[in-house]
Amino acid sequence: MAVKDKLKTHLFPTIWCPGCGIGLIMQQLATVMDELGMDKNNTVLVTGIGCTGRMGAYMNFESVYTLHGRTLPVAEAIKMVRPELHVIVVSGDGDIASIGGNHLLHSIRRNPNITVVCNNNEIYGLTGGQTGPTTPRGTSTISSPAGSAYTPINLQGVVNTNPNAYYAKTTVYHQGPMRKAIREAIGWPGFSFVDVASQCIENNGRRIGFASANDMLQHYRTEYKAAPAGSKHLEPHQLGIVKGEPVAVAGPPPGDGSGE
Amino acid sequence: MTKRLVQGNEAVLLGAVKAGASYFCGYPISPSSEILAQASVYASRHPEFRFLQAEDEIASANAILGASLAGAKSFTATSGPGFSLMQEAIGYGHKVGIPCVIVNVMRVGPGTGMPTMPAQGDLNQARYGSTGDYTSFVFYPSTVAECYEYAIHSFNAAEESRSPVILLSDGFLGHLNEVADLDAVDLPIVPRTLEPLASGGTRLFSGVATYPDGEPATADADEFIRQFHESRDHRVKVAERYAFYEYGWNKDAETLVIAYGITRRIAQPLAAHFALFRPIRIWPTLDKELTEVAARYRKIIVIEGSDGQYANVVERMLLRRVERVPLLGGRMSLEAIREGLALIGMLPAELAPSGSESPAPAR
Repeated sequence: MAVKDKLKTHLFPTIWCPGCGIGLIMQQLATVMDELGMDKNNTVLVTGIGCTGRMGAYMNFESVYTLHGRTLPVAEAIKMVRPELHVIVVSGDGDIASIGGNHLLHSIRRNPNITVVCNNNEIYGLTGGQTGPTTPRGTSTISSPAGSAYTPINLQGVVNTNPNAYYAKTTVYHQGPMRKAIREAIGWPGFSFVDVASQCIENNGRRIGFASANDMLQHYRTEYKAAPAGSKHLEPHQLGIVKGEPVAVAGPPPGDGSGE
Repeated sequence: MTKRLVQGNEAVLLGAVKAGASYFCGYPISPSSEILAQASVYASRHPEFRFLQAEDEIASANAILGASLAGAKSFTATSGPGFSLMQEAIGYGHKVGIPCVIVNVMRVGPGTGMPTMPAQGDLNQARYGSTGDYTSFVFYPSTVAECYEYAIHSFNAAEESRSPVILLSDGFLGHLNEVADLDAVDLPIVPRTLEPLASGGTRLFSGVATYPDGEPATADADEFIRQFHESRDHRVKVAERYAFYEYGWNKDAETLVIAYGITRRIAQPLAAHFALFRPIRIWPTLDKELTEVAARYRKIIVIEGSDGQYANVVERMLLRRVERVPLLGGRMSLEAIREGLALIGMLPAELAPSGSESPAPAR
């Protein structure tokens, strides 16, 4: 088995822009999946709408390319019917936290044993570069030329309202830690969320002053710092992992679990 | 042989279970909530049946798509406003080809409307509610026993057509209690036709237009047309096996009444004076069957719980005008029908107002 076998390389080059961060995520995800022996018989991908959602087509797995914002209901249902499968959600920040926000709020409550890998490029890239739920306040975008007006959503806060969840913040520059986070998240019993800061040079970076994709990528090196070991909470611009209390997960409860 | 009192909503759940459903995801909404509640109780007694009350109807509709792809016959139940929220998911199910069943127990709209009053105002939404072109399968029973039978037919049609099938009901029928012997219903059950996820392939189930290999086909009209014709032709062909309707009452009468769902039951006292055509498969329309029947009658009256949604369809099908008796605001009664007929000068003298307004017993 090799990482190459996890990818449909005959469909390369991909549709993504040169310099896009999504390819970096796909590469590390494929690497981890290869390490863990995940294949098309034991794993399903569920992807959202946006450039990130195109990842399913390039990987050697069955995948569901859902409606915008609806990866979590679909993923939870797949997991409930087929608890033996790994269910990996791959989604962008807008898909998971804006239109998908209500589902995120409620999936968190239910603590399904699924893993979310979020390509958090702080923009709606595919539609040209509109402000998104994680866009930093004051960012100039196509739908906020004078600077985005609102506080970004607190993804870590939302995920950690579930005391049993796993949350990791990493970037596409920090490939080793990203790989580790994805590996741990997949093995985590219950809900796991890997929040990956990633660059969109074409529809975000250039507008906010980056000369190239490499500049954006290198920028993560200085913009983010590892949180002190054992941190229970990550401050803005800190990288790290916050683990809740792991629960024993042994498949779904019968019916709705209410008993009679 | 067990005759017992059964409720319309209950019969839908029992039919779904009989058809092999093993996943229900829904959200409470009058007048459908009994289906959610009883599905929950059923699930607690049968671990192989999965149940979830989701955060809203959008989650419910998407969840049943995922469950079906994963291998379960799945369904949800709602009413008009929830049905509106589910439309995007329904369209996705048509595009991707996912068998599942959506039960819509109709109530008066629009908006939040009259949550506990029956209506028949979602026929257009059931056909055209989602974006783009697709072939809707929509069934609408008239008796509690038929709620059971057509739940089974819905799951069968879903498997054969590989699409989301709509089972309509209404606030009157859903809460109607009738004596029925459901064990006597003997219908074949169509097994699963869609290979479940992770069975050895690397399929891409995509709402976005793609080529069979997964590459985006978002600018290829020829490919779109090819796929569109293929799925439409297949579904139209499947529909031929589900051409359910009733033609009865007084076939020698001068005028044909078209009524469906609970209205057909309420109108039963008209039987001596009119012929009846009752569509049970609402969509696709029963063009051949209705055209043939309608040709024998000078006049047609469509009696329905909406401002003529099916009447408009009939007029377009037959290219002739029809009379209308709309039953609005939840006032679906024999009295309201008599008033409506009188208003268009078509009330037989013998049916001038006298007494009871309750619907006639089952045939």
